[in-house]
Amino acid sequence: MTNEQDIINRIEAAYPDAVCKKKQERRVEACLPPDRLFDFAGRMQSHWNFPHLSAISCVDWINEGEFELVYHFWSYEEKILVSAKIRIPREEARFISITELWQPAKFFERDIHEMFGVVFEGNDDLEKYILTEWEGPPPMRKDFVTRDFANRFYHFKEYEAEWMGPQQNPQAADVQGGSNE
Amino acid sequence: MSEVLERINRSFDEPEDEHDEVREYTLFIGPNHPGIEGNFALKLSLEGDTIVRAKTDGGYLHRGFEKLMEERLFMQNIAIVCRICVPDPDPNEENYARAVEAIAGIEVPERAKWIRVLVLELSRIASHLFTFGGHAGTIGLYTMPNWSIADRDRILDLFEELTGGRVYHIYNMPGGVRRDFPDGFERRVHEVMDYIESRLPDYDDLFFNNAILRKRAEGIGVLTSDQAIRWGATGPNLRAVGIPADLRRDDTYEVYDKLEFDIPTLTGGDALDRLLVRRKEIEESIRIVRQVVDNIPSGKVWNKQPNPLKWRVPAGDAYVRTESSKGEYAYYMVSDGGQRPYRVHVRGASTTHGVHILENLLVGTRIEDASQVMFSLDACPPEVDR
Repeated sequence: MTNEQDIINRIEAAYPDAVCKKKQERRVEACLPPDRLFDFAGRMQSHWNFPHLSAISCVDWINEGEFELVYHFWSYEEKILVSAKIRIPREEARFISITELWQPAKFFERDIHEMFGVVFEGNDDLEKYILTEWEGPPPMRKDFVTRDFANRFYHFKEYEAEWMGPQQNPQAADVQGGSNE
Repeated sequence: MSEVLERINRSFDEPEDEHDEVREYTLFIGPNHPGIEGNFALKLSLEGDTIVRAKTDGGYLHRGFEKLMEERLFMQNIAIVCRICVPDPDPNEENYARAVEAIAGIEVPERAKWIRVLVLELSRIASHLFTFGGHAGTIGLYTMPNWSIADRDRILDLFEELTGGRVYHIYNMPGGVRRDFPDGFERRVHEVMDYIESRLPDYDDLFFNNAILRKRAEGIGVLTSDQAIRWGATGPNLRAVGIPADLRRDDTYEVYDKLEFDIPTLTGGDALDRLLVRRKEIEESIRIVRQVVDNIPSGKVWNKQPNPLKWRVPAGDAYVRTESSKGEYAYYMVSDGGQRPYRVHVRGASTTHGVHILENLLVGTRIEDASQVMFSLDACPPEVDR
């Protein structure tokens, strides 16, 4: 079994422009230029024995105008999780799909497309999954503020149904009950 | 009259290919159907009784948890996360607490780690019992749901005693757990474990060795080991193809490295083996729970954290994983140094099982086995929808 430093050395030797560090026990982080990711993912799978794509996470760094995509790879033998991070511009965000390497990526990418609006080139199934009746902007983006949306499209009012009237007044309810008897 | 007959005869003479478009039909199962776990829909294309294509249709349980968490304080989110998965809520709490601890560098008292293991294992047993009931229901064995869900209630009683909540516990907090064992709790845990263990032979007679189950589940929804890896199977579904991968061992957390337990595996990869792996896991979980109750060290259960209303977690990110009853359950949390999480990504175990694997496994099975395949994968729609 190799340790985290071996993995870091291996990544840095193959990708001199990658910035790696050990985050904690069994966790390695590798920041890569976006154009190296597909190659990196292929090498992870076929050469470095990382057969499990745990997840793809997306983070909206709105102040920097970038989306961060984080690919989490797990090795059953090395027992190390490598998180590969890349950043892409936020405007008209597009990135290459890794579905031909990892089939589970299909749904992760579809989810990111739906929630953040990132288009993955090469993924043939980017249909809406959860928000099928939603026409607005991708809701997980930071510039979509739930509270503003609610205030704009719904209005608040005091709940005052007529049938509640007598019940709020205990005396009135008593009178009514008495008359029924 | 003769004109009609002539037309009918002509339609019989036409070559079959011209009816291609009517050979296949589409059927919807769900979103509200007793054979579906939770609110979820399957769109099945069928030829006769055989499924030729399957598409899942989720979103009925989408409550925007990830977005909601970005707008709540770190402490408030503890009450939200457990609601993501109904049958097995504790891995969510565990992941959330551990993610915050990893980012903020919070130490957890030793006793709290043991209690967390206890809660996770009890939750695993409860969740498996629930699944057995559901699976049995899909093949018409209705005694099993009555038994297993009644027995699950005994575990919920323990939860109620320990945490105050039966289904949602809101018990794990960053820095430890909310409160210590009540008086005599250890004895009652032993009693319930003895009871559940004594029930397992009954379950075998009623369900696991039942001829109906053997006939119906054997060879259904077969996953090969190669497919399981390629399609991202985890947890019991992966162990049912003979791969002894378990995050409690491989990516160990809390005190699992100090406990003795085996990782049951089977090699068939069909619905029956997935079910039997879960059956064996209950025995292992009982073993773990007994060890925890017997060996738990004394001490405090929570390291005091700053005022939750002013609490800021330093900038950073963490990816934490828990072996839930359904498989790998992971949270990716990012903090920008504020009072609220900047981003929390929930990776439910069913994200792969309930969509990609289910869609692939359904192809070639018959319509009456569709529900069974879903239950054997233990696909939990709320984890997919979040």
